[in-house]
Amino acid sequence: MRDTPLSNCERLFLLKAIEEKKRLDGRQTYDYRNIKITFGTEYGCCIVELGKTRVLSQVSCELVPPKDSRPTEGIVFFNLELSPMASPAFEPNRQSELLVTLNRQLERCLRNSKCIDTESLCVVSGEKVWQIRVDVHVLNHDGNLMDAASIAAISALSHFRRPDVAIQGRDVTMFSPEERDPISLSIYHMPICVSFAFFLQGSYLLVDPCEREERVMDGLLMIAMNKHREICSIQSSGGIMLLKDQVLRCSKIASVKVSEVTELINKALDNDRKIRKEGGKFGFAESMPKERITTLKRDKAPVEMTDVKETASEIVNRTETPTEAVDSPVLVATGTAQVGEGLVNSWGLEEDEEDEPQMTEDRKRAGEVMVISDSEEEEVVILNQEAPKSKKTSKK
Amino acid sequence: MAVDMRLPTVHKHISLASQSHLDSKHLVVPGDVITSDTGFMRGHGTYMDEERLTASVAGEVERVNKLICVKPLKTRYNGEVGDVIVGRITEVQQKRWKVETNSRLDSVLLLSSVNLPGGELRRRSAEDELAMRDYLQEGDLISAEVQSVFSDGALSLHTRSLKYGKLGQGVLVLVSPSLVKRQKTHFHNLPCGASIILGNNGYVWLYPTPGHQDEEAGGYYTSMEPVSLSDREVISRLRNCLLALSAHKVLLYDTSVLYCYESSLTHQIKDILKPEIMEQIILETRQRLVEHEG
Repeated sequence: MRDTPLSNCERLFLLKAIEEKKRLDGRQTYDYRNIKITFGTEYGCCIVELGKTRVLSQVSCELVPPKDSRPTEGIVFFNLELSPMASPAFEPNRQSELLVTLNRQLERCLRNSKCIDTESLCVVSGEKVWQIRVDVHVLNHDGNLMDAASIAAISALSHFRRPDVAIQGRDVTMFSPEERDPISLSIYHMPICVSFAFFLQGSYLLVDPCEREERVMDGLLMIAMNKHREICSIQSSGGIMLLKDQVLRCSKIASVKVSEVTELINKALDNDRKIRKEGGKFGFAESMPKERITTLKRDKAPVEMTDVKETASEIVNRTETPTEAVDSPVLVATGTAQVGEGLVNSWGLEEDEEDEPQMTEDRKRAGEVMVISDSEEEEVVILNQEAPKSKKTSKK
Repeated sequence: MAVDMRLPTVHKHISLASQSHLDSKHLVVPGDVITSDTGFMRGHGTYMDEERLTASVAGEVERVNKLICVKPLKTRYNGEVGDVIVGRITEVQQKRWKVETNSRLDSVLLLSSVNLPGGELRRRSAEDELAMRDYLQEGDLISAEVQSVFSDGALSLHTRSLKYGKLGQGVLVLVSPSLVKRQKTHFHNLPCGASIILGNNGYVWLYPTPGHQDEEAGGYYTSMEPVSLSDREVISRLRNCLLALSAHKVLLYDTSVLYCYESSLTHQIKDILKPEIMEQIILETRQRLVEHEG
């Protein structure tokens, strides 16, 4: 099913905001969204969350005969899948251009950069080698799939352990994880992809575009780099003309971002290793936040607080001194029955019985606090005309 | 910049007389067995599973004599001939436009089904085909009527009346198509000072009431004059009311929208979006609607 098209107003709004250096979620031009990396109970399973974009990658291995042209090297196979779970625009069996682009870029980034030592994957030269298969599934599409996929793939590869093998002549015995500890892959470096989106004929650029920004962008530049400042792959799509100094500037920004992300991956791997050694609980079940009704968990929303202090002091200075402290302030509480001053509620409705303990509690707690209800079935008249709160009269 | 903070409140739901008949509604989810009786004909939203009639969508079971169908609560728009829709042009093709109408397939607006600007009646020539983009471009909003339904479910639209055509300045609100009540007319000039088009496909268009109709317009003249602040406030308030009504699954028609607007006048426009105030307003609206019917 096709995605709902972007309206003209939204498009204009996004472009105008970008001209004023403002982004929809309040980020700066070179800011990444929150990256969260979690590992599963199996070795080689990793979920990466880049803001709302979620990508799962799973690494598995198998003993196979090697390619004829390279008898002493193992095989690494990448597969990225876009399921309709990620976005209504992805159809189940359609080979879209985006899918091909992502697959090719992932292969270029990880295979051509030779980040994995394929010679160490050889078991019996010419006969048996390890085939490492990396499956990347996109769980939710909120922009910048390539970055999330590359982080997920390299984290999963670094996390993965393959079974130990013993060679006797031409016999190969594979040990299960209980018999012998599995061995991790030998990875030379971690190439990470950084995406730059260009707008308005290349005059404005944004790092890590979200889905809305991707819809209005003119072109995309993807630079895959490792923390040693080596560029592994660079690709520009969308047909925009880029100047030399723009590309150089992007590569400098990319090197900064890649070192941050590599540090994050290493920290996540260390944490996972530590928890497994100590025997604690690990896996996805532990890292998902508990969704209970009593807990209210939200991500921290960025609020512009630059001149809060001045504005607050201004408001304070401007307002007049408040009237004398009122003995019985008027509290508006919904769902409670009316409590008059000294009056007993004579309506005799069912709700009163349940509210009475609460009513008396309120009275005990607040002293002479008058509680006004918002219930539609009672006539409420406020006796206290000079109360600072707004007047509320509701009639049946 | 001031920050608005509110604590969550506990609400006591007061049941209205109108909601007691909810118990008599037969609600189903996909996979629920509706009946094991084989004497019924199966309609939309059902399928036969080992001689038992099972629901394939989540909604309410409707029975007309021997026909059982399930009307889903949230669904893509299924077009009927004669429906008024509000849609957005997505493509300009040879001799037709593709219109996005929140249905499973994009709807089609043929060049021969629109009024030419100036209102003349003649055969569409090759020049008309080349000038299609001058009439309607990608991203434009139009109001149209469903002329017919193709065999695959795609709709064929027409704007062969002066009240249909390109929409100018206004606000679009997207709601679920099942919430828009089928009525005689979907174009209303509300007494509060704005006009509304309730598209059957769930797209509701709010716009300032036009001053006087331009006869030669032919549906393409869109006034770009600035809209006054009072009109804009009315439209913003209506938009928030529509969001409140759709969040509480109230059927949308001119009376319900009007009652909601009047109930909301005591609050500020931006306060209508707060959940607790939304509940208050909807409660009042529901009460008034019950009185109005009863």
